[in-house]
Amino acid sequence: GLRRCLISMDIHHIEETFQEIKKTIQAKDTFQNVTILSTPETLHSIKPLDVCCMTKNLLAFYVDKVFKDHQELNPQILRKISSIANSFLYMKKALQRCQEQRQCHCRDEATNATRIIHDNYDQLEVRSAAIKSLGELDVFLAWIDKNHQGPSA
Amino acid sequence: DGVAILPAPQNLSVHSTNMKHLLMWSPVVVPGEIIHYFVEYQGEYESLYMSHIWIPSSWGSPTEDPECDITDDITATVPYNLRVRASLGSQTSAWSTLQHPFNRNTTILTPPVMEVTKDGFHLVIKLEDLGPQFEFLVAYWRREPGAKEHVKVVRSRGIPVHLETMEPGVPYCVRVRTLVKAIGRHSPFSQAECVKVQGETLPL
Repeated sequence: GLRRCLISMDIHHIEETFQEIKKTIQAKDTFQNVTILSTPETLHSIKPLDVCCMTKNLLAFYVDKVFKDHQELNPQILRKISSIANSFLYMKKALQRCQEQRQCHCRDEATNATRIIHDNYDQLEVRSAAIKSLGELDVFLAWIDKNHQGPSA
Repeated sequence: DGVAILPAPQNLSVHSTNMKHLLMWSPVVVPGEIIHYFVEYQGEYESLYMSHIWIPSSWGSPTEDPECDITDDITATVPYNLRVRASLGSQTSAWSTLQHPFNRNTTILTPPVMEVTKDGFHLVIKLEDLGPQFEFLVAYWRREPGAKEHVKVVRSRGIPVHLETMEPGVPYCVRVRTLVKAIGRHSPFSQAECVKVQGETLPL
């Protein structure tokens, strides 16, 4: 599962990087009572067997969608987002290789949960959706950390 | 916008050892003038998805020296494009871009410096602080026929670590290598160092 596929991964460095910009990013979120990642049917309902696939799908969500839709002008913030984006790109490629070696199996449960997240995203105006998703990175990182440490499948 | 009549910096190269990365280039010389350089980078993410985005280096924008510590900029194990330009007042040169993108997984890993000591009967090792990305694999054994090598992974840096309680009169030897998980690599082993209770350090 996830631990076998993401051997050389420094999640704590990514968490530290996000903590440095979290307050600034979350302050720009104008829809505080809405969530994109944390609905009951998404992250928190994922079973160990689906963790690897869900991680791969969400890394793709951030790399292919969120980071592109967010336009950052502040160089300090841009530097931190770039660090996270490039780390996610590295992890995404590692999980894709793992999937090709049939060690990161995708079932309908992960596919459906991913689609709900994309639907939640698409219901907001794109800049608002991007900033909200960036603000929820701590949810995703904590979920990865928990599943990367624990007895994941 | 200043006309680019300054020559662009040449011979860009990255010197990377133990996850410290230094971008260097040949200086642009205008007699009697101080040239400032501006360094920018883009990771693989930017080059794939936002190729117009270049990010000012943390320490090299601007700098007067023909080098820039890019360690804090290179924070993922992906290829990074790097570029430099020179500036003198309103005059700026064209950008010079590193010929091949730099990936930190090519860093040179050297055997770590260690200090093997005796604290009474205790075999103690102290390792240099190479930063948070480094772990140390310490191998130690009794120097006698058929002795088994023991291995311990040490994460603490710069503080003494107890390895073993020694038997008097028997030499104990230690060697160590670094492990860097972020790039999935390790350094060569250091030379072994041996100590014996009531004896001096015995070079191999």
